[in-house]
Amino acid sequence: MRISLLFLPACLISGLVLFAQTPAAPKAATVKPVSTKAAAPVNYKEMGNPSARVTFEAYTDYECPHCAIFFRDVMPQIMAQYVETGKVKFVHRDFPLNQIHQWAQLAARYANAAGEIGQYDLAVNQIFKTQDSWSRTGNIEAELVKVLPPGAMQKVRELVKSDPNLDASIKKDVDMAMNVDHVPSTPTVVIVSKGKREVISSALPFSVWKSYLDKKLAE
Amino acid sequence: MKTKFLIAGRLALGLIFVVAAYAKLKAPWLVFAGSLNDFGILPESWLEPVARTLPWAELALGLALISGIWQRWFALIAALILGLFFSVMVRSYAMGLKIDCGCFGPGEQLGPITLLRDFSMLALAIAVTIFSFRKPQIPADAEAEIAVA
Repeated sequence: MRISLLFLPACLISGLVLFAQTPAAPKAATVKPVSTKAAAPVNYKEMGNPSARVTFEAYTDYECPHCAIFFRDVMPQIMAQYVETGKVKFVHRDFPLNQIHQWAQLAARYANAAGEIGQYDLAVNQIFKTQDSWSRTGNIEAELVKVLPPGAMQKVRELVKSDPNLDASIKKDVDMAMNVDHVPSTPTVVIVSKGKREVISSALPFSVWKSYLDKKLAE
Repeated sequence: MKTKFLIAGRLALGLIFVVAAYAKLKAPWLVFAGSLNDFGILPESWLEPVARTLPWAELALGLALISGIWQRWFALIAALILGLFFSVMVRSYAMGLKIDCGCFGPGEQLGPITLLRDFSMLALAIAVTIFSFRKPQIPADAEAEIAVA
């Protein structure tokens, strides 16, 4: 009798906390039709077959360690097996977490500036690959110099200094992350298929993505 | 009193498992696989099978608890599962992981509130299990009849 009285509050707490905490509509996994407000990505951020039935959109922050791992371990295989074969379209979206990563916005500016002159992939991969170095100093240029030709580097430098479109492009992606996909963290992938957006916020291994994408493509 | 507690506790546990299963099943399985992956306890090859089957197992367990069949055994299973979940959550929290709890679908970060909630559910499951395994008490009026006889 006494024990049961002790556990009744536990039962009540469970119930109350459960219903207080259970989100009515979990934001991170919302599956919904594509919004007409969806911001079109800048072209250099899109890769693969434009008419592919499945689109793989990745929101990343260049200073986020999990994003760097994702780009090192998962993206090369996604690109080789799905994007370059025309099965899936890939869209890279910027989501710099400026509150915790002081150089993330600048890194996105450098990547997008490189994109403006046709060197997007090279810059993105180098920025992620050397994250450990530049995230301590903010000297992103020192890492890009190693892979970009001098002429291209000069153009990138000028664009980063003066092109207002770079921030506008980042803002479009951030607005979409906040208002359409409700991105909770990075990396976040949005699988777009049959007019629905499935938001998956985790750095899953390639084998799991492969299994999911194969089933999506077979639907 | 004991009978009422058992019924209420069993129904509450059953409802919790059904709600948890529904929240996971209405999202793509990849979302739950992501939560499982974030805890870092399962090998890569287990992520998909566990993400696909665990929500259905939770649903079955919840319905079994609500129906009351084999109450003591299902209460024991619920206590063991909640004990496992709680220990994994405590481990992740102690490691300082900033991850989704994944308990009732995505979008809920692991923290003191989620730990308190899961501890309360575990306490409830243990209580229901203990009471279920105890021999049922003879009602007072039945005792009187036995005494007369």
